[in-house]
Amino acid sequence: MKKAVKKFDARPKLNGSWKFLDDYSYENMIFGQLFYSTCHHGIIKNIIFPKNFDLNEFTIISAKNILGKNIVPEPVCDQPFMAEKEVMHFGQIILGIAHSDKKTLRDFVENIKVKYEKLSAIIDPKECLDNERNHFGKEILINHSNNEKNTGNYHKNIYYTQHQEQAYLEPQGAIAIYDETKKTMFVRVTAQCPFFVKSGVETIMGNAINEAIIETSEGIGGAFGGKEDFPNLLAGITSLLAYKSGKPVKIVLTRNDDIQITTKRHPSRIEIETWTNPLTQKIEKCNIDYRLDAGAFQTLSPVVMARGVLHVGGSYAIPNIKIRGRLFKSNTPSNGAFRGFGVPQALAAMEAHIDQIAIDLKIDPYLFRKVNLFKIGDEFPTTQKITENNLIDCLERVIKNSNYLSKKKEFAEWNKDNSNKKGIGISVGFHGGGFTGNGEKVLKSELKIIIEKNANVKIFVANTDMGQGAHTTLSQMFYETINHPKEKCRVQLPNTSKTPNSGPTVASRTIYIIGNLLQKLAREIQKKLNFENLESYVATHQNEFPREFRKVYIPDKSIVFDENNYVGMAYKDYSWAACVNEIYFHADTYKLEIIKSWNVFDIGKVVNQKIAEGQAEGGILQALAYANSEFFYKKKFGRVRNFTDYTLPTTLDVPEIDVEFIHTDNKIAKGLGEIPMDFPAPAVRNAFLNATGIFVDEYPLTPENIFNIIRSKNEN
Amino acid sequence: MKIKFILNKNEVEIDANPMTRLIDVLREHFQLLGTKEGCGEGECGACTILLNDKPVASCIANLIHAENGVILTAEGIAKTKIGTLLIDCFDETNAVQCGFCFPGFLVSSYHYLKTDGEPNLEKIKIALSGNICRCTGYQKIFDSVLMACEKLDLS
Amino acid sequence: MIFYRPNNLKNLFELLENSNATNYFLAGGTDINLQTKNIPKNVNIFYISHLNVLRNITEINGHISIGSTATFSDILHSDYLAKHLPFFQNSLKFFASPIIQNLATIGGNIVNGSPTNDVSPLLLILDAKLELISKNNSRIIPFNSFYRGYKEFDLQKNELVKAILIPKNAENNLETFYQKVGARNSLTISKITVAGLKFIENNRIKKIKIAVGSVNEYPRRLVNLENYLITKRINEIKKDELTKIIAVEITPISDFRSDQNYRFVVCLNLIEKFLGINF
Repeated sequence: MKKAVKKFDARPKLNGSWKFLDDYSYENMIFGQLFYSTCHHGIIKNIIFPKNFDLNEFTIISAKNILGKNIVPEPVCDQPFMAEKEVMHFGQIILGIAHSDKKTLRDFVENIKVKYEKLSAIIDPKECLDNERNHFGKEILINHSNNEKNTGNYHKNIYYTQHQEQAYLEPQGAIAIYDETKKTMFVRVTAQCPFFVKSGVETIMGNAINEAIIETSEGIGGAFGGKEDFPNLLAGITSLLAYKSGKPVKIVLTRNDDIQITTKRHPSRIEIETWTNPLTQKIEKCNIDYRLDAGAFQTLSPVVMARGVLHVGGSYAIPNIKIRGRLFKSNTPSNGAFRGFGVPQALAAMEAHIDQIAIDLKIDPYLFRKVNLFKIGDEFPTTQKITENNLIDCLERVIKNSNYLSKKKEFAEWNKDNSNKKGIGISVGFHGGGFTGNGEKVLKSELKIIIEKNANVKIFVANTDMGQGAHTTLSQMFYETINHPKEKCRVQLPNTSKTPNSGPTVASRTIYIIGNLLQKLAREIQKKLNFENLESYVATHQNEFPREFRKVYIPDKSIVFDENNYVGMAYKDYSWAACVNEIYFHADTYKLEIIKSWNVFDIGKVVNQKIAEGQAEGGILQALAYANSEFFYKKKFGRVRNFTDYTLPTTLDVPEIDVEFIHTDNKIAKGLGEIPMDFPAPAVRNAFLNATGIFVDEYPLTPENIFNIIRSKNEN
Repeated sequence: MKIKFILNKNEVEIDANPMTRLIDVLREHFQLLGTKEGCGEGECGACTILLNDKPVASCIANLIHAENGVILTAEGIAKTKIGTLLIDCFDETNAVQCGFCFPGFLVSSYHYLKTDGEPNLEKIKIALSGNICRCTGYQKIFDSVLMACEKLDLS
Repeated sequence: MIFYRPNNLKNLFELLENSNATNYFLAGGTDINLQTKNIPKNVNIFYISHLNVLRNITEINGHISIGSTATFSDILHSDYLAKHLPFFQNSLKFFASPIIQNLATIGGNIVNGSPTNDVSPLLLILDAKLELISKNNSRIIPFNSFYRGYKEFDLQKNELVKAILIPKNAENNLETFYQKVGARNSLTISKITVAGLKFIENNRIKKIKIAVGSVNEYPRRLVNLENYLITKRINEIKKDELTKIIAVEITPISDFRSDQNYRFVVCLNLIEKFLGINF
């Protein structure tokens, strides 16, 4: 086996020399802080600043000071940078404040008092999602049905999921520096999408600046979607403070502020009704109502919903299917991007539903899946044809790896004599690579490389490395294609004035779209210059270098998607995966312990085995915790405020995780970023069902939730 | 108040409020930026340093705790033999993802290798149980520390 | 805020006497650094971690004396405790996390007074005592009488917990039980803690001690339950009687971390587990 290509940034990250946002300082830099609403919904009556402070020492901005528009650029532009009169949620920003001393600033901000006229507010996700009146925005309808009759066995259930916190370890932060002579705003930021930030800063600054130049920090300390759109807002306010104070301003959120005011995964309510044929054991018909709690503003939620409805039909050939997707409004911070992007919710419902049907039909969930899983020639709800049987291969492989069939028998025997229970459960899933439908067409991603006189290759992409190893893998995809030395090839730190817009770092698209594009460019350059060895070519053609090459991504013409009717090819390539989880249920404490998780993926070609495994393992643990332990909100007790109560899994909570990639002989490297978060969670619930016979329609399966379910079951 | 201690093998003295959080002393006064603040409450371990040969969360310790003591940060550990061995192993397995938590993991792992070093997964898990990583699912971190223990055994 | 670093205990009490602000003792700092918001500006802080006389773990008059500023890692590494009180020592293995164990002190855990503190249920069943000192006085009280209500203690102004005394033989020949239920396996705050000691001879309970944490306004011994159980045979214990007694002795609440009913039932389950009964 060939030796793994190592990450170029691992050693400096370990010895502490790699710079994250808070590690940057500039001359005369002062510090900023956000002052936000602690009222869920209300009218601001007045703001009282604390006494004993010299107000002249502070730079204070509110919506009134905005030079451009008070609207954060998003797919739906409905969220202001700062509240004007009315606050729509706890955590909505009211003021930006800067001072040269951090402690003075904190004392000042903590003692600002606001009087609100309180208005009615919804913060409970279920209360929000159960009430049709809270629906807002456009709805999506997918109708792939030519049979209006309802025949066969009927199965129906409603499934709920909660918020999930991204919990990137590095909190959000930005530093803005205004250049008065050039009228430019330089912003260094920890963010996934530098060009989104650029548009945010240019919107809030309006004509006051000619250009915003965005560069990320060297290290981006995790993101998982959480640094997709919030940085736009943060960088905008930081920029305005820098402009007004005339000094560089740095804002780094405390963990407690970060957790309380930034975007989370959308809570969901998904209702599924299904008709099956008991003889063939096939699903005949399915209606799905997919709802997301968007928070106070829509922002990018329609895009999350679009991906959600395109995956909520699950991995099953269903001849008649109707899907309806809607957003619901609550008085909580806007929910946003989080690895999986609407799909973890979709599969939480569908994969639980499949197990429920299997039990109704008295058939093993594995065999029921085998009968109904996508096969070549089947269709997605959008009519797109299935062209490979790789999902079934993933399922068969994971069944074998986990010893599912014999374990299932063994556990059933064991459970007879024990109050503690053992269980094993399955789930499967898929994730479309890149933007949905025509998204990549609109984006026209472009990348650039420069080959220098010493044959060093500089790669310029806007896609960030937030820990997923993208810059190592991208560089590897280039130099392996033309056999160039590894150390002569480096992805540059994204900077919007130097880097073409190759699009945001989202949607599992960095390797799948940009990496494959980079490989194409490498082959084109080789063909054009006609070299065997780039180094010797450069050495003998010195006058041609440095030389720049660019390439724009043009999607396959065969991809046609009708965005009005949701018909056509939503995605060109799909990654597939299957999971088996083994659990142990402690009857005395109601604790569900995950013993081991087996996972098999088809992500096409695996560029870097160890990096891919690491990505998968990390995503799987996030998924397991989503099902089992992480919760953000509790009725009567509100939302989480810190890491003490948002209990991330520790080294003593993580089960053994087994990962295998199959069908790796593919030429294409498909998406991997999100799928590990999508599919393993439902197998926790399904394993619990197998262990106890108790069906749970809601995440997470905390001991308290399990206790309450068992108790209400006993009462009935 | 003047406080003396040994920082990464150098004698240092600082005149500051003894209640200053140790993390602020290291980052702001000594520019040792490898010690990261992830939560400010001892709940994540990104700020782990060795204080008198023991790993502690520097965000909930104060300057006074360092009085006449010995501090080793990730920067200092990276220069030691065992630190280098660990870095090699973390690098070998491609364990590092975003990297924000890794200086903390380096410190806790170093302490484990120094005081125990048995290639025992359960013990390693306990030794690292104050350090949170959100990227990796921990598997490659365990592999790395196990590998380092085995290599240490051989040398 | 004024910071004091006393040279010795005598000096500490002199400084305390002259202080006319609110006084805080600083040991490991793991609590005080979380409460910076709540600490009023006008406070005096007295650093005590450097005073070895408060930190030693020694053997005195048949007791193991644990200085109040001994850290949890001091406790976990103490040979005395390993030899005489291994159950006590092992029970604290998963306290907070290693990077907190190296700072946090046993005295801090006790006087923080949280109903969820890990150490109190153990001290209660081991018949621990507290040695309290002030300028002109020193007294020893049973730990059992220290807590008087939610965050209320038997502690005078300018009085300090000097040491925790546990009888050397407190665990001898007894069956021991300690289980802390939290949201995760490390870095976790107790939702329910049950600690117990028992001695059973000829299937009859000869000795029994049970203490619980996180289900009352402060950790306490379940005295009525103990009285009910003592001298009973295991098979004489009745589920409904057990439940009835516990229902009077514990008053769990619902909060962000757990629920009243869950806490009650799991507490009951753990007590049954400790007693070795399966209804």
